[in-house]
Amino acid sequence: MPERTIDFGKFGARGIKGSDAVARKLDELADGIVTPVTVRRGLMARLHYLTRTEHSRRAAREAGLTVTDRTLKAWLEEKRRPSNANLERIDAAYRQVRRQNVAPYLLRRLNANGGTRVEIHPLNQSQVPRQLQRLVEYRTMNVRRWDRIVEAWASGDQQGLDDAWEDVIVDLGSQWGQYEYVTNIGFAA
Amino acid sequence: MSDFDAIDALLAAVGPQAELPLPEVRRELREQARLSKAQVARTLGVSPSTVGAWESGRDPADEIRAKYAYLLDGLAAKFTTGTSQEAAPAEDEEEAGDEADDEVESLAAAEPCVLCGSPAGHRVAGFAQHLDPADCRPATPATAAPPDVAARTAVPPTAAPPTAAPAVTRPARGPAKRAFQELSGPGELIGRTVRAALAEHRGDVDAALAALLKRAIPDAMRLLDETRKGARYDIVAHPWIPDILRKQTSRGADQIWEARPKWTRRELPPGRHEVTALDINGAYLSALKTHLPLGQLEHTTGFAHDRRRAGVHLITPPAWEHGAVLPNPIGNRDEPGPLWVTEPTLRLLLRLSGPKHALCAPPEIHESYTSGATENLLEKFRVALKDARDTAIAEDDEVTLEYVKAMYSKFVSTMGESNYNRELYRPDWMHIIRSQAFANLWMKALKAHDEGLTVVRAMGTDELHVIGDWHRVFTEGRGVTEVKTKDTYTAGTDDTEDMPGEEA
Repeated sequence: MPERTIDFGKFGARGIKGSDAVARKLDELADGIVTPVTVRRGLMARLHYLTRTEHSRRAAREAGLTVTDRTLKAWLEEKRRPSNANLERIDAAYRQVRRQNVAPYLLRRLNANGGTRVEIHPLNQSQVPRQLQRLVEYRTMNVRRWDRIVEAWASGDQQGLDDAWEDVIVDLGSQWGQYEYVTNIGFAA
Repeated sequence: MSDFDAIDALLAAVGPQAELPLPEVRRELREQARLSKAQVARTLGVSPSTVGAWESGRDPADEIRAKYAYLLDGLAAKFTTGTSQEAAPAEDEEEAGDEADDEVESLAAAEPCVLCGSPAGHRVAGFAQHLDPADCRPATPATAAPPDVAARTAVPPTAAPPTAAPAVTRPARGPAKRAFQELSGPGELIGRTVRAALAEHRGDVDAALAALLKRAIPDAMRLLDETRKGARYDIVAHPWIPDILRKQTSRGADQIWEARPKWTRRELPPGRHEVTALDINGAYLSALKTHLPLGQLEHTTGFAHDRRRAGVHLITPPAWEHGAVLPNPIGNRDEPGPLWVTEPTLRLLLRLSGPKHALCAPPEIHESYTSGATENLLEKFRVALKDARDTAIAEDDEVTLEYVKAMYSKFVSTMGESNYNRELYRPDWMHIIRSQAFANLWMKALKAHDEGLTVVRAMGTDELHVIGDWHRVFTEGRGVTEVKTKDTYTAGTDDTEDMPGEEA
């Protein structure tokens, strides 16, 4: 299995795409509002975050929250409640703006001191028939430059993140394809 | 004709082989010349491990043998003092002492005895010493130090001076130490940090301490990295974590029950008693020695407990019938039914259900998340901290003491899902270490009970209230194996009231 997996899970292996795991971890590091948007508290927190300054309003608009100021005002004063479609839009806009705001700081920390050590926990083979199981080891590596990864993550570019991450794991050696899907990717920032 | 030439050459080669001294003598000679195995190996064109093998019994052959014999002859000629006369008796003793303990080796050249410092002819388990205690003459304090020092290798700086002192008195020095020894161990890291902080704040103790406490977590992580250098197992800091170990909400708790003791004896024995509140020193520091799962936790179902693995287990705890005199080992649990406990709690329950104690039935294990475990993962880390703590106590160094305390306590409390320490994400370890502290306290309560003390209260990680002469059972002090008194108070009903005595 030297390169990309063609049909992941055909024999029962379980895992997620490495780049998804990286995005998940970066989201975890970026922190933010955890209360769901469907709850009043979570909604108001997101709306405040997106409308606090003129800059954040502009960022929200660019992130796809294209409602009029009048509507935003009504939502903030709780005269109206956003529709379910708009709730989703608010959540997506919040996530994107948050990522963009955090990205420069996160990038600085990840690149500092010669990069960040990344742990790669291999895919789960417990459901794979015995004779098809392969020895896939836990690996660690140091990633020096995070610019492309963080940039793709901040702009929500899944394909770009995938490509950037693949360029990183190629450094694992000829068996890098085994690490395209993983159970977890861990690093600190 | 050419055939016969070849045969002649072969016959010549078969001729008498070069004589080699005994394996120990070979090593002795090389060490006396202060040559490393690598140096010898390079010269002879073999690998260092081969030289090591020759020195532990194997014999080289042919050409190499001749070269080696030549080298040893040359060395022997240089160091004729002692070696040649002693070589013969050494041979005799080798044959005579064959049936004796094979760890005892006789020495060609006498080496200073590690116990008394005067020359000894034998080496036991790598240490030169007298076989007969009568030969061991009383020693000067400096030479008596080495065995003690060898046991605590964690602090090389303090170890260096005493070992260097007897070296001067040796007639022919047998270097028992490695050529390149690391001078700055993990223990030195703590001392250096404290000194640097004190220097930075120009001796202002409060300011230095505040600065040190602020950086305790990153420093603990650095110390951990330092102590894992060259270690067998890697610290896996970000494994996949099963849902039971994840917090349900940001402020909430996960599903693990740590078995924190919170128990007060319901009825005291009749009469008034002097109760002593004992405090266990460095409970979390001692608890760092526990079975920690190394890698990612794997799910299993079933009743068997594998001693080589550790993790968290879903168990149905056994009924506890000794609640009147001893706390329940699973703590103050209100809800019945199965619960997730960690490895130390399970091991405690299994131990108590064993034939030695037989205090309860064995727990029923339903599910487990475990991984291969070792008790030594944080051992060097713990020893480094413990040594720093002991030194600080001996020197009455409050700054180091507080700093060390902050290091281990914050290390334990932030190793889970904490934003203060993102380097390590092991909620399982956090729970296991805490449970180990609680289990340790529980075992202390049992010890007190078995020795005839009345256990009145077991609380938190380090609080144990007892009635009776506890000095028989525990030693008082500030070390981690000792206890200190927090408080003494009187409790119980007055003698005027006879009712409880009749009820009992």
